[in-house]
Amino acid sequence: MKRALYLISMLLLASFVAVGCGGEKKEDKKAEAPKAGLKIGSLGPLTGQYAADGNDIKNGVLAAIEVMNPEMGALGPVTLQAEDDACDPRQAVAAANKLINEKVTAVIGAYCSSATIPASEPLIAAKIFMITPASTNEKVTERGMPYMYRTCGRDDDQSKAAVKFMAEQLKAKAIYIVDDKTTYSQGLADNVEKLAPGANLKVLGHEHVNQGDKDYSAVLTKVKAAKPDVFYVSLQNSASAAPMLIQIARMGIKTKILAQDAVYHPQLMELAKKDAEGVFLTFGYTDKETPAYKKFAEAYKKFGEPGAYSAYSYDSTVAYLKAVKAAGSTDPEKVKAELAKLEFDGASKKIKYKENGDSGSNYVIQVVKDGKFTNYWNPETGELFK
Amino acid sequence: MEFLLQQLVNGITLGGVYALVALGYTMVYGIIQLINFAHGEIYAAGGYMGVILISWLFSQGFPPAVCLGAALVLAMGYCAMLAMAVEKVAYKPLRQSSRLSVLLSALGMSIFLQNGLMLTQGVYDRAYPTEMVQGGFEFGGAVVSWMQVIIVGVTVLLLVALNLLVFKTRIGKAMRATAQDKTMSALVGINSNRIISLTFAIGAGLAAAAGIMVGLYYGSVRYDMGFVPGVKAFSAAVLGGIGNITGAMLGGLIIGMIEVLAAGYISSEYKDVFAFVILIAVLYFMPTGIMGENVDDTRV
Repeated sequence: MKRALYLISMLLLASFVAVGCGGEKKEDKKAEAPKAGLKIGSLGPLTGQYAADGNDIKNGVLAAIEVMNPEMGALGPVTLQAEDDACDPRQAVAAANKLINEKVTAVIGAYCSSATIPASEPLIAAKIFMITPASTNEKVTERGMPYMYRTCGRDDDQSKAAVKFMAEQLKAKAIYIVDDKTTYSQGLADNVEKLAPGANLKVLGHEHVNQGDKDYSAVLTKVKAAKPDVFYVSLQNSASAAPMLIQIARMGIKTKILAQDAVYHPQLMELAKKDAEGVFLTFGYTDKETPAYKKFAEAYKKFGEPGAYSAYSYDSTVAYLKAVKAAGSTDPEKVKAELAKLEFDGASKKIKYKENGDSGSNYVIQVVKDGKFTNYWNPETGELFK
Repeated sequence: MEFLLQQLVNGITLGGVYALVALGYTMVYGIIQLINFAHGEIYAAGGYMGVILISWLFSQGFPPAVCLGAALVLAMGYCAMLAMAVEKVAYKPLRQSSRLSVLLSALGMSIFLQNGLMLTQGVYDRAYPTEMVQGGFEFGGAVVSWMQVIIVGVTVLLLVALNLLVFKTRIGKAMRATAQDKTMSALVGINSNRIISLTFAIGAGLAAAAGIMVGLYYGSVRYDMGFVPGVKAFSAAVLGGIGNITGAMLGGLIIGMIEVLAAGYISSEYKDVFAFVILIAVLYFMPTGIMGENVDDTRV
């Protein structure tokens, strides 16, 4: 009887991980099979609260490798070493050092600007390319690092688009700002606060919440009392934003909401459902009808719905592999020269890296409509999308 | 005034949840002097069990009350079994060893369960069907949602039931006796192993209920959701006087209230700091917590 109870206990606990182990093994095999060839790394939070976004980046790289592998010829096959930075500066540096030891020639990542910046130091010193698909903080490319590239836009451009939209299209007079204190989210919110007076927007308040908080009732009570025209929400990802939208609806706050690119994820609608309707966000413009995007969508299908940075991560990988192919080797100087010349239609946008590694911003305003992110307003022309 | 009222409503909701989780810590500590670090993960497992059951039942067209009731009962049962299994595998073999070994075993169990949840349930947040319970009412300018009413209602119900169980039944008497002196209570014929198992099961059931209600309230669950509430609930248990049931309830409510009021009147970014500052202050002047940990009558 006692034996049996003990056995049942063990089984109950074993059932807890059994399914997961099965899934994991398959991946290991895939990563280990080919030995020679080109090895690139990816960096992003694969565990912790931003694990969803890190996996989007990793999957984007995997999709790109699959598409590019047949073209790589003698340089291939390309393999991926995916590392986890948990969006933590210290772990990011440790992961970067591990990738250096693994002799990767390029790293696609990271997600959080606060992880990308410290991880870039050892990587660039080791002459390894770092192309971030997601870190939008200005400082990422402002430090004169020779092998640092960025495929997504920049926060200073993003905040300009946000302020312009609030002032010109929403005709707001007073706004309320909240962020969750990361290099990215607070950097963006501070920019908006700085630019607001220039556009005749009064900032009624700027509150900070903790990363990963789920209870925003205190901040929202303040927002409700302040009655702003627009509530500017700068949180690190969609899983943090969803509970906020739910609580906004529950508290009966009718203010217009403007968020930013980090909340762009199908998960937002899945979690917040109809409470996500009507939320505006600034996001890089992507034409989903181009052949390049369709090719990406096809390759990405097996990973599910693309996340915010899946296409950028895909494009970053394709850009590097194209440059390696053109250079005919992985020699950093040659590849850098090719990257400077490189110009192609990526899945996310037209990819052309500038001298400092940036690829330009093309922020537009999107709105959640019928459970989908829909282009809404173009800050360049000041007109609504059709 | 409206602002204060709104924050009080929010604080009671949050405090109730902390109290439910804190009870698991305090009861287990009371009976075997172990800080059960895996308790937060049991709470997360309850939240996941809830999302699986409620989503399924709701999609089958059952009325919300049935979904919630069935999910509560089944998830509480599942987590009770899970906690008993954890106790059998990770704590019981170490009962004669030093307290440090059991503590490490508990930490290991916490990591094991959290990673198990991540591997089986994925890294993405899982959404609760929040459309199940919607709306609310205004009360003196403060918005009270039905979900908050349900959370407070279920919490009160469970707390009353627990009090009756511990102070009015034979099982409760056996639990209190075991807490006071394991050897002595065994001598008078109490099966202390079974009582310890039962304590784990009850604590886990309460945590599972809290997990489900938090999931419904915030709309989603994630595999690592157990860590922060676990730490706060543990603080609540210490604040109230660890090992003391009434203390845990009070401690939970106080931590919830402080957090919400500090966030509302001072700043959201310091809300956790204030909760812990109060904890330190109380422990400085009352080392055994508000209710005291050695009030043998109320200790389990």
